[in-house]
Amino acid sequence: MSLASSIKKARYRWLPDHVFGELLSKSWIDNAIPFTIMIIVVGVVGSLLPNFFTGSNIGILARQYGELALVVLAMTTVILVGGIDLSVGSNFALGNFLMLYFLNLADLPVGLAAGLVVLICGSVGLVNGVLIGYLRLRAFLTTLVTLIIVRAIVDLLLLEYAQDMSMSFYSSPLWDLMGLGNVSIFPFSFVILVIVAVIAHVIFSRSGPGWRLLAIGGSRRSAYNMGLPVKRIVCLAYVVSGMLVGMAGILYAARLSGAGTDTGLGLEVLVLTAAILGGNSLGGGRGSVTKAMMGAVTVLVLTNGVLRLGLNSGSGPMVLGLALLFAVFVDVRWMKNRHKLLNTVYVSPTLMEMPEPRTTDEGPFKVNDRLSKVDVIGLGDVESPEDVILDDEDYLYCGNRHGDIVRFTPPEYKTYEIYAHIGGAPLGMSFDKDGNLLVCVGGMGLYMVAKKDRAVTLVTDETNRSFFSIIDDSRLRLADDLDVAPDGKIYFSEATVRYEMHDWPVDALESRGNGRIVCYDPKTKKTRTVVRNLVFPNGVCTSHDGKSILFAESWGCRINRYWLEGPKKGTVEVLADKLPGYPDNINRASDGTYWVAIMGMRSPALDLALRMPDFRRRMARRMAADQWLFPNLNIGCVARFDDDGEIIESLWDRKAANHPMITSMREHKGWLYLGGITNNRIGRIRLEGQNNRWTGWSSYWGKKSGENA
Amino acid sequence: MVKLLGQEIGGKRVKHSMISRIFDNLLGRGSAAVTVPPMDGALKPNNQLENLQPGIPAAQVDDIVEWKGEPLWSDGATLVSRSGVQAELPSVITALAALDDTLVVATLDDGLILLGGDYQRAEIAWATPITNVTAISVDQSGVILFCTGSQTNAPNEWRRDLMETNQSGMIGRANPKTGEVRILAKNLRYPSGIATTASGSIVYSEAWASHIVEMSADGSNAQIIFDEIPGYPGRLCRQENGTFWLSVFAPRNPLIEFVLREPAYRKAMLQEVAPEFWIAPHFYSGRYFNEPMQGGALKQMGILKPWAPTRSYGLVIELSSTFIPLRSFHSRTGGSRHGITSALQSGNTLWMACRGNGEILEMQLVEKGKAL
Repeated sequence: MSLASSIKKARYRWLPDHVFGELLSKSWIDNAIPFTIMIIVVGVVGSLLPNFFTGSNIGILARQYGELALVVLAMTTVILVGGIDLSVGSNFALGNFLMLYFLNLADLPVGLAAGLVVLICGSVGLVNGVLIGYLRLRAFLTTLVTLIIVRAIVDLLLLEYAQDMSMSFYSSPLWDLMGLGNVSIFPFSFVILVIVAVIAHVIFSRSGPGWRLLAIGGSRRSAYNMGLPVKRIVCLAYVVSGMLVGMAGILYAARLSGAGTDTGLGLEVLVLTAAILGGNSLGGGRGSVTKAMMGAVTVLVLTNGVLRLGLNSGSGPMVLGLALLFAVFVDVRWMKNRHKLLNTVYVSPTLMEMPEPRTTDEGPFKVNDRLSKVDVIGLGDVESPEDVILDDEDYLYCGNRHGDIVRFTPPEYKTYEIYAHIGGAPLGMSFDKDGNLLVCVGGMGLYMVAKKDRAVTLVTDETNRSFFSIIDDSRLRLADDLDVAPDGKIYFSEATVRYEMHDWPVDALESRGNGRIVCYDPKTKKTRTVVRNLVFPNGVCTSHDGKSILFAESWGCRINRYWLEGPKKGTVEVLADKLPGYPDNINRASDGTYWVAIMGMRSPALDLALRMPDFRRRMARRMAADQWLFPNLNIGCVARFDDDGEIIESLWDRKAANHPMITSMREHKGWLYLGGITNNRIGRIRLEGQNNRWTGWSSYWGKKSGENA
Repeated sequence: MVKLLGQEIGGKRVKHSMISRIFDNLLGRGSAAVTVPPMDGALKPNNQLENLQPGIPAAQVDDIVEWKGEPLWSDGATLVSRSGVQAELPSVITALAALDDTLVVATLDDGLILLGGDYQRAEIAWATPITNVTAISVDQSGVILFCTGSQTNAPNEWRRDLMETNQSGMIGRANPKTGEVRILAKNLRYPSGIATTASGSIVYSEAWASHIVEMSADGSNAQIIFDEIPGYPGRLCRQENGTFWLSVFAPRNPLIEFVLREPAYRKAMLQEVAPEFWIAPHFYSGRYFNEPMQGGALKQMGILKPWAPTRSYGLVIELSSTFIPLRSFHSRTGGSRHGITSALQSGNTLWMACRGNGEILEMQLVEKGKAL
């Protein structure tokens, strides 16, 4: 048993399976399958063929690759816009023929000839583009027709000029360089390809025209409805395709200097296979230059391998056909199932062994009804006051789920006003030295409401990205609670980097250290993560002496101290653990102790489930979240503890009549104010024996004399 | 409508293939699905139980029977009528039935016993001991029909029996004149209610299977006549007009269904967690903060939604003589009239034993069933 459990522990410690889900959530994961296929094909063919990895062979392949990949890129451009171009093969042959014709028979210089060829091939694309883009003909049939017609033209031209062309032989340094030479160690055609590919990549991934093209491929109708020039862009895609094919034809002509009836025959199938095998979606809208390049490598190595292995003559097309079938299959299945897979894999509970909780039958946590007689404030007027805070003029502030900061007017707190509108869900709040209200907003970051004009400004919404994190954790997803240190630095918690605010129950289900403490320095305006891998950190509070901050780890049921100065500077130590419930916000009490809101209580059934991650994973997959086992949050509890982590007392709303799930409390002039994120009211209760003149703000920023000394 | 996958009906086991079961378990489909039947049609939720006047307090109330012309109920080890405690037995009573002027009583320690008109215990020696009785009925010929819920767990341990997924219940006949005992059906999934029909056949509810089975008086020809009940059906009570009152003592719940399909967790829970805090159905819930809570049951804006997932519920269903639900009375999530263990119609009054709130409820019935 102990061996089994230690294996289990090791498995959850060293095999962090949330990584798989995070990998799947990346958009580049679409490249994983084509990349794997490419590696396998290259590996297999390379091991079967002797001398495959020698420099000369790689050089020959790279030269062919330059031509092929240009045509694949042409095809990809058209596929991305939601079409298909079958005429690439005959267009390629046309380009090849024309180049040789211009050089050998028309005696044009290479540069001019190449320009003309690109233009003429582009005009073939333009014919396609006009027919498909403007006249809305079917891409498949239209390009099939151009395939036949252009092929026929090439054949006619060959009949006419082949004899003459074979008699003459054009030669120039530039032409030789294009056909046989290298730039540094790279073949000329490969260099051209790299230049074109880089430009194409930038266009597709980082420019307006490229994005529009992808948008049209993704949903032509939506693109039209949002005002994109669909016809023009579709037409242009075919023109670009034709021009790229022309370039490939020129390079082919330079390499072989021969025109025959079989030039470019069947090229369209080869290229289509490459584009799809690379992972470009046949339906359009999804794909990249990288994918096209990978597909081209796979197909080139595959066809070359089959050829050089000396298999039967039919086996080449057969392998190609099977590869295309496989590519289409993967394309369809992957697109359909990727999100399903992500949904089932992303949530990954971890092993969490909860210590035996402190008793609630006796001692400081003994259950009582001290919160049963609260004065209710703003019943029905505030929804989701996660945190409450009072300023030195006794005004009461809270957030609500409509994104407002609501301010109640003393002394009755019967009337209220919308103090500011931020948007998002305001959570933890704090006043800085100048009385500006700092607010953590779920999904948005850290905001400030200025005291003088109530202007809302963004303080920070990103921090430094962790070096080894797979998901981008630089944006703040769930800034939760904050406090200001004596030097003005703002320390705040981000409860989880893996989920949005309303998915906090999923984070509870995982119970992994997904959260962190972040520090914003107003002097440098820099945000840095100071502590990572915390289990739902929450409730940040600067200690009374200002030398450390206290924070709760909710699902870990413990309160920690992070030292800002002194010998332990920069370290975290556990202050109070084995709590019977889940601690939330922490705030100062008037007598030098601290209040902590206990948002819910541990249930033995859940503690047991935390030891069984597989159980929780299956639970998450098979049931709606409403049916999941949660912490028991239908209970209200607030506790007080001191700097040694000693629990002093607790106040309970046993029946949760007014205050289930208390997430925050503030002491102010002898009253304790209560807030709850699922509640529609604020409560306050008179405290016995606490200082009637103490206020939170003066405890932080007031003169250190008299009452608050 | 009838689904017999892997269940045992009257000793006949209908299996589905092992391979499909493995796939079901892997993917959470078929028999491994955790969906529960919806409450619709005649089972549409209402608040009729919740709206009743406060009843007669009876903390350990269990069964009700009409005897000597008035309702008599068991409250722990005592027998109580409207006029007060009638008798106190040495052991907790688990079922009641009236046999003319004899009262048939099942208790935890003594099994099935007979009480005379003055509550004096009559001598009777059964051929085989009868234990763990959950429900009793008497047929036209005066023979006692009884349900043994489980061979291993007493009726007050019903939650454990469910969590152990036992199917060791039995239906038997006991002749009070001769002491002869005959088992009609065994290996049942906690039979907990029994009645006879006008034609003399026997109907019984199988709680853990959430269905009702009809069989001939000799135990043959068992077939399911009402299934997909959204709770655990308990006692059945036939009225003179042929309709039945079915008490559903606890609700089914996807989380519980899920736990029932998780042997490792269930085993650990039975060992380590106090019974009160199990993920298991109960007569009541929401009293302690250590109870398991499901996401939907979190109070939002001060309100516990009545459709929130719950471990306890109040439900009584009137079934036609052909076992079609006619109407139902409910106490929903967050209510108190949960855990209805028995119902009895006397005249126009429906008497109900509400274990969850420890009271006997009275409801004046409005003629409505006829129209359906």
